[in-house]
Amino acid sequence: MVDILFIGLSLSSILLLVALGLAVTYGAMGIINMAHGEMVMIGAYTAVMAKIWLGLGLIASIPLAFAVTALAGLAIERLVVRRLYGRLLDTLLATWGIAILLQQAIRLEFGLSFLGIHIAGLGSGLQNVPVPAALQGTVRLLGHDFNAYRIFIVAMTAVLAVATWAVMYRTALGMKVRAIIRNPQMAAACGIAVARTNALTFALGSGLAGVAGVLMAGFKTVAPDMGATLVVDGFMVVVTGGVGSLLGTVAASGLLGEFNALVAMASNDIIGRAAVFAVVIGVILLKPAGLFTFKGR
Amino acid sequence: MAGPLANYRFWAYAGLAVLLLALPLVGDEFWLNRVAKYLCYGMLGAAVALTWGYAGVLNLGQGLFFGIGAYAMAMGLKLKSYTSLQQGSDQPVPDFMLWNAQPGAPTELCCITPGSWLWLPFQWQWTGVIVAVVLPVLLAGIMGRIIFGQRISGVFVSIITLALVLLVRLVVVDAQPLTNGFNGLTDLGWLTVAGHEFDPYAKGTYYLVAVALILVLGLSRILVATRAGTILQATRDSDTRALYLGYDVPAYQTFFFAVSAGIAGLAGMLYVIVSEFASPSFLELSFSITMVVWAAVGGRGSILGAAVGAILINMIEARVSETEALVEAWKAIIGLLFVVTVIYLPKGLSGLAHDGIARLRMRRPALRLKEEAGQ
Repeated sequence: MVDILFIGLSLSSILLLVALGLAVTYGAMGIINMAHGEMVMIGAYTAVMAKIWLGLGLIASIPLAFAVTALAGLAIERLVVRRLYGRLLDTLLATWGIAILLQQAIRLEFGLSFLGIHIAGLGSGLQNVPVPAALQGTVRLLGHDFNAYRIFIVAMTAVLAVATWAVMYRTALGMKVRAIIRNPQMAAACGIAVARTNALTFALGSGLAGVAGVLMAGFKTVAPDMGATLVVDGFMVVVTGGVGSLLGTVAASGLLGEFNALVAMASNDIIGRAAVFAVVIGVILLKPAGLFTFKGR
Repeated sequence: MAGPLANYRFWAYAGLAVLLLALPLVGDEFWLNRVAKYLCYGMLGAAVALTWGYAGVLNLGQGLFFGIGAYAMAMGLKLKSYTSLQQGSDQPVPDFMLWNAQPGAPTELCCITPGSWLWLPFQWQWTGVIVAVVLPVLLAGIMGRIIFGQRISGVFVSIITLALVLLVRLVVVDAQPLTNGFNGLTDLGWLTVAGHEFDPYAKGTYYLVAVALILVLGLSRILVATRAGTILQATRDSDTRALYLGYDVPAYQTFFFAVSAGIAGLAGMLYVIVSEFASPSFLELSFSITMVVWAAVGGRGSILGAAVGAILINMIEARVSETEALVEAWKAIIGLLFVVTVIYLPKGLSGLAHDGIARLRMRRPALRLKEEAGQ
C-alpha cells in the first residue's frame, strides 16, 4: 500500500511540476498557454544540450533551463500573447500554433537540417539525460525501498511550490500579480504596469515549466512531442483546483495523482488515466469554479 | 432583400456545388478518393463553424462525434468484410476477436469476447449508418443539456469536451477485444445499397460524399438564417441579455450543439466508407484541434468558408507531402499559418472575401443604387 501511495505521490509531483507554471500564467493572466508543454520540452532539451556541449550535469542545468525557457516565454508574450488579451479562446489557439512551431523547430534543428547541418542533441530522435550517481538506485525508508530519483523529484517539487508561493505572496511582483487577478482595471488605475507585470508573470510560468522539463529528463526519454500530453494534464489540475488558487493546484495535483495510482492498481494504467479525466469532468460540472476558490472578481 | 439570386453568398454556395459535382470530369479515381476524404473534413469544418462561429462554443472534442460515426459505420462494414466471413461460423465474426478470444470461447458473435454481443445489431449494415448519426446527436443533446443547463461557458466547455474525447479514446484503446484497441478497425467491406456496392475508388462513392457535403452546407446555411439561428447568434454575443429577453438559451445552444454533432457523425461515417478504416487516432486531441485550425483559416463565422478552408488545407497538404523533406516543414507552416491567422485574420479567408466584395461594391455606386432600389 505504501508503494502505491508513493507511486501516487510521484505522479502528483509530476502533475504539480507542470501545473505550477500554468497556475501562474492561467491563474494570473487568464491565458491558456497550450505551448506550456513545449516549454517543458525545451527545458528538457536544455538539459540534453548542456550535457553534450557544456558538460553540465542534470542539476547544474536547472538554472540554465529556467533562464532559457523564461526568455522564450517572454518572447512569446511579446510577439503573440500580448496582442490577444481578452480573447481567451484565441490565445488557446494561437499558442497551439506556437506549440507546433516549437516542436518542429527542434525536430528540424531550427531549419538547419534542410542545409544538411546537424546539431548533436536536436532532431527528431530520442535523447536521454543521465541521472547523477548520487540519485541512482533506491533508498530504504521505514522498511520500504524507494527510487532515489523519485524522492528527489518530490522534494524538488515541494521546493518549487514553496518558492512559487513565496514569489506570489512575499514579493512586490507577487502582490502586483494578485492585484491584477482580482481586478486588472483597478490595478492599472493604482499605477501597476499591467502589461509589464503580465510579461514577467508569463516568463516566470514558462521558467517553472523549463525546470520541470529538466527534472523530467531524468526519468523520461526526451523527444520533441513529449510536451503535448503534459499540457492537458496540467490544465486538468489547474481547473480542478480552481483558477488563481495556488493551494488549490497543489491539492488537486495530490488528489488526482493518488486517485490515478489507486485506480491504476485496481485495473490498469489506461483506465487509471481515464478515471482522472472522468473526475475532472465531474468537478467542472459540479463546481465550475474549481474545488478551492476565493470569491471575487 | 433582393432575392437570393442577387446575393453573392448564394452564388458562392452554388459555385462550390457545381465545382464539386464537376470534379470527376477532370480527376482519376485515385485522386477522387482522396478528395472525398477532404470533403468529409469539409463537413467537420462546417460543424466547427456552426458551434464555434455561430454559438461561440469552442468544442475541442468534435473528434468524439466523428469517431462515433466512424466506429459505428466501421463495425457494420467489418461484419461485411471477406475476412469476417471466414472464421468458421455461420455468422460473420471479426478476425481480431478470434485473436483476443479466451481459449475455448465459441466462435459466435454473441459471446466470443466479453461484450462482443454489442456487435450483434451491426449485422444489419443500416444499424451502422443510423447509429453513426443518431448516437452523436443523442450524446450531444445530453451533454448540452448538462453543460449549458449549468450555464457553463467559454473555456470550461472546451476543457470538458476535450477531457471527454480523451477519456473515450482511452476506453476504446483499452477495450481491445471489442474495438481492436490501437490498431482500429481495418479490412472493411463495402456499403451496399439496393445491390450497388460503394467501392471507395468508384465515382459513385465520390458523388455520395459530394452530394452529402452540398446538402450539409446548404441546410446548415438555411438553419442559421432561421429565427432559431438568429437567436443563437444573439446568445453568442450576449447570453445574459438573450436570457433576460426571455429566450431559453440552453435549449438553443443544445440544439445547435447536437446538429453539429450529427454533422460530425455523418462525416465520420462517410469517411469510413471512403477510407476503409476507423482508428483511435480520430479521438486524439490533435485531430480535434486540427479541425478548429481548418475552420479558423477558412473563417469561423462562415459555414462555407470553414468547409472550404478544410478542403483547401488538406489538398495543399497532400501536394506538399509528396516531397519527403517537406512533410515536417509543412507542420511548421501550419503552426505559423495558424498563429498569423488568429492574430491578423480572426475572420479567416471568408472574412477577407467578404471585405473584398464589400470594398468592390463601394467602388461601384451604380450597382449599390440599383441594389438599394431593389430592397
